Amino acid sequence: MILSDNNNNLVLMKNISKSFFGNKVNTNVDFTLEKGEIHALLGENGAGKTTLMNMLTGVYFPDEGDIYFKGDKLNFNFPGEALKIGIGMVHQRFSLVGNLTVLENLILGHPDNKYVINIPEKKKLIKTYMDQFNFQVDLDAIVGELPIGVRQKVEILKMLVREVDVLIVDEPTTVLTKQEADNLMEILKSIAKTGKGIIFITHKMSEVFNIADKITVLRKGLKIATVDKNDTNPRKLAKMMVGKESEITFERPKVETKPSVIKIQNLFVNSDKGVLAVNNLSFDLAGGEIIGIAGVSGNGQVELADALTGNRDVIRGKIFFKGDDISNDSPVKRIDKGVSYVPGDRIRVGVAGNQSVWENIIMKVYRLPKFKKGVLLDNKKLKEYAEKIIEKYNIFLPSINLPALLLSGGNLQKLIIGREMERDCDLYVFVYPTRGLDVGATEFVRNAILQLRNQGKAVILISGDFDEIFGLSDRIAVMYEGNFTGIFNNGDHSLEEIGLMMSGCTEEEAVKEMSSGSEDKKGKEVTDV
Amino acid sequence: MFKIKLEQKERVSKREELIITLSAIGIAFVLSGIFIALNGVNPFVALWKVITSALGTPYGISETLVKAIPLIFTGLAVAIALNSKLWNIGAEGQLFFGATLATAFIIYGPVLPKPLELTVLIILGAIGGALWAAIPALLKIKFKMNEVISTLLLNYVAINITDYFLFGPWKGKDNFPYTPEFPVEAKFDRIGFGRVHTGLFIALVLVVLLYILIYHTKTGYKLRLTGSSLKAAKYAGINIKKMMFMVFLMSGALAGLAGVSLVSGVEYKLHQQISTGYGYTGIIVAWLARTNPFIIVIFAIFLSILLKGADSLQIAMRLPAAVGVVMQALILFAILGSELFKNYNIKLIRGK
Repeated sequence: MILSDNNNNLVLMKNISKSFFGNKVNTNVDFTLEKGEIHALLGENGAGKTTLMNMLTGVYFPDEGDIYFKGDKLNFNFPGEALKIGIGMVHQRFSLVGNLTVLENLILGHPDNKYVINIPEKKKLIKTYMDQFNFQVDLDAIVGELPIGVRQKVEILKMLVREVDVLIVDEPTTVLTKQEADNLMEILKSIAKTGKGIIFITHKMSEVFNIADKITVLRKGLKIATVDKNDTNPRKLAKMMVGKESEITFERPKVETKPSVIKIQNLFVNSDKGVLAVNNLSFDLAGGEIIGIAGVSGNGQVELADALTGNRDVIRGKIFFKGDDISNDSPVKRIDKGVSYVPGDRIRVGVAGNQSVWENIIMKVYRLPKFKKGVLLDNKKLKEYAEKIIEKYNIFLPSINLPALLLSGGNLQKLIIGREMERDCDLYVFVYPTRGLDVGATEFVRNAILQLRNQGKAVILISGDFDEIFGLSDRIAVMYEGNFTGIFNNGDHSLEEIGLMMSGCTEEEAVKEMSSGSEDKKGKEVTDV
Repeated sequence: MFKIKLEQKERVSKREELIITLSAIGIAFVLSGIFIALNGVNPFVALWKVITSALGTPYGISETLVKAIPLIFTGLAVAIALNSKLWNIGAEGQLFFGATLATAFIIYGPVLPKPLELTVLIILGAIGGALWAAIPALLKIKFKMNEVISTLLLNYVAINITDYFLFGPWKGKDNFPYTPEFPVEAKFDRIGFGRVHTGLFIALVLVVLLYILIYHTKTGYKLRLTGSSLKAAKYAGINIKKMMFMVFLMSGALAGLAGVSLVSGVEYKLHQQISTGYGYTGIIVAWLARTNPFIIVIFAIFLSILLKGADSLQIAMRLPAAVGVVMQALILFAILGSELFKNYNIKLIRGK
């Protein structure tokens, strides 16, 4: 039993549910952490890992369920309290002051600080921590001048100085080199040996097996299972992470394809953090074809979509659209040439949330001469245009003057897709088009995507949903760390094989792994209680 | 014992927003009252004095309007930038630079027929303000420098440039730091109500024009989209940098006009005290009005009542000159503090 009351328990989260804007992000999740344990929290982005941890650290309050820390029920009033009682989190975005030295960052806001801070004593204290866990950071260095891997160590050191009992690290290796990542994991292991509990949020399979004692898999806000590392294998975990193959099938009639609508050659693109997100990627795509790009979030999919549509600079490489080199074209040029983008971040990128629905629908057409009235915009005509789209795409709303951010996820996505379909482009890029949508809206979106394909448009479908990838794609590509680990016709590989490719295996390795470990008699999975 | 819990709100209704804003102003008044009481004056008497001195006589009303004119300009200036989520804290400096450039023409240029002369002054004032605003705009676009800091600091530079001319080449005959009185061609006509001048009409026309610009043109649409979400604006194909630059120029130009309206409409000369912080008060006006040009007029008048009233308090009740500034500051604090109530639900819970 996982949920037994046991003296080794550091953290016990019972039956936790949380919704944002009506979307369930966590549903009845249980979670335990014991002393000295490294517990990996595995799942896709959007699976609810970070939200769950934000409730443990008091950033959010659960709608339902209780959280216990060392046997006491937690009732936070503000986020800082978690750190006071010994729960610390190292976020993906570091919370260090770049202009201060390492030492200053470490003692900043420490509750022991009185009027005078005894610097030499603090230094000595911090040195003992570094010695204990066998890593060194120059305490007098300016944090802003340190490489990212060292900054991460400072973050961890900060938590050690605060003497946390529970250390949560949120996808700590995304910004690190391989060596830095290995080093980090050694440090975490030695920290766990002292009896502290570590929660390691990740979506990388290799790390899970390197570091974790226990693994909890979340998918779509639900806890799928908690398993012992020794009782499982990458294949099983991949399966838990991605779910079951679905029965749903879509009609995909044969359509005549138009050659090479979009062609990408040796593309390199940086992420916001300035590290390579798309790494030497090449492929081409015909009109009337859907390429489904599968992969765990954060492997460069969004950056690829941004680069294709002009929302992100190309570092190197070329993008050809209908034979034209558009690598350096601005977004507006690409919009005019017929590139359409349905971004994954609907509320911040897909629409300007505070602006009204109608103003969001006209976002890409307001420049057209037919909407001009002298020097003014013909607001009446624009509103009529918006109303036409609202009716045609069945967007349900009380008024076209409503701010777009008040629309439900499904209606918002209908708005965006309606806006884009109406423009009649040659290339459509969809990023997580059905994430968080209900069944009806999901069906609408998928049918729309198919309809575009059947009309001879080229469609790039970036998705984390395998029903979608298998149901819609003509070809499937699996993206891992900025490149494709496989690109093949839909049907050539099983879901498990794709799951392995998502964790970094090549096509051949995935096939080999599957044929070797076809029957497994290893220990039982510990599932939900 | 009670504990306070904060949780993010999904949205605030227009009505709630109005109530929160008005309550904030109310709280600011109560706090101002305490400050006034500590200075040994009955706050109710003081409030009555403020109201009667600003609105009780035709003279009071006209002086209130005189103060409202530059506030409309600076309010519009800050508001148009705020529409794109840019903070122009530099309206004061742009005001001075615009006024100085216009004055330069009066001093060095030919005296033109009145309509032409005034047109040139208005254009130069706008250009001066825009030029001064172009500096922080470029710093932001090229070097990502925070505009709050750059616009604020450039205020002092602009004021010092004005001082240079006032203490240097433009020094008056009696050696005081002000220019000679402008020729009649460079003065705005009075409209026959105290010192209220035709600059009022220019301000009101601009209110309408800006309303049209913001809500009925392509530029306005782009501007609002940029303010609503930079990412969405970029996604929609808007050249964000160009947009920011343009917004800064417009904002600076409006502030520059405030400068012209002061030197040519009220003071008839350039000196160090042409503005008593209109550029800063404009920030409060724009923020209170939620950037709506028509509502800016209302709050410009509201704040000029306070300015006028504070003048009278100083004279009639021997309160320190700082009273007006303190009241403004309290209003700004209360308004900014009230943002919390717009974004969060606040619950009192009984703790252990």
